[in-house]
Amino acid sequence: MAGDRSADSPSIPEPVVRVAAIAAGGSLGTLARYGVERAIAPSELGFPWSTFTVNVVGSFVLGMVVTLVVERWPPTRFVRPFAAIGFCGGFTTFSTMMVEADQLGRHGRAGTAAVYLVASLIAGVAAAALGMAAARGRLLPRPGAPSLPDPDDIGPLAGASGRRRHPGRAR
Amino acid sequence: MIVAGVAVAGGLGAVLRYLVDHLVQRHVGSDAPLGILVVNLSGSLVLGVLVGSAAHQGVSPAWLTVAGTGLIGAYTTFSTFTFDTVRLAEDGQWKVAAATVVTSLALGVGAAAAGLALGSLT
Repeated sequence: MAGDRSADSPSIPEPVVRVAAIAAGGSLGTLARYGVERAIAPSELGFPWSTFTVNVVGSFVLGMVVTLVVERWPPTRFVRPFAAIGFCGGFTTFSTMMVEADQLGRHGRAGTAAVYLVASLIAGVAAAALGMAAARGRLLPRPGAPSLPDPDDIGPLAGASGRRRHPGRAR
Repeated sequence: MIVAGVAVAGGLGAVLRYLVDHLVQRHVGSDAPLGILVVNLSGSLVLGVLVGSAAHQGVSPAWLTVAGTGLIGAYTTFSTFTFDTVRLAEDGQWKVAAATVVTSLALGVGAAAAGLALGSLT
């Protein structure tokens, strides 16, 4: 058919397209986080709700997207770079959380800092697990199903594409 | 302008994370998510330096937003960290999961504190 050059264009190597997808998703995710930070007015030395919110929401979305891509959807090449590594990776942040916790501790709010770290961890892990469960329609993986891969491991950067730690998938 | 800067810096940060993670993970060849650990700890250190030096030398808030919220915020990630924790637990690798969590949080706060102290020095 006419017009399917774009599907397998030999002129743009796959790693380049993959990196471009990560950059595009990362830009959008970062903008979304910036928007949430501006919308939820920061309270000086209060509980950092904006970072907490993006991190928990982002964990849910990443859990769902990666599980859908690996276990539910037909093989796709650019959903994970764009939505998982790019968007969710850029939307959530670890460094801001660490600096916020340190600042709280420095200003005599060590208790708030500890609650913030533990609550983020518990809510984030629960959200990721719920996202996976939502994608599967069940809480636990189907017996014998392949293990989920490292979400950021989408194969070698150069050379032939492939999913390294994912032996359960026949092409 | 700031919004455009945040967008560009966010894209760069995400790509940088992918490259560093890839490089580290390839060299360690382990199931433990060491690549993301390196990314998150180095990013916490750098953000600490940025915030520390901003407080002491009047770095413009716009620059801090682009570099801190944009570049380093996108470079580090929380969602991959929580996903990896669940993934390792599902695989029965509880010790690796617990060690990653404890190391990330303890050294992360330490890295941010060290960065803030460093940034305040100069």
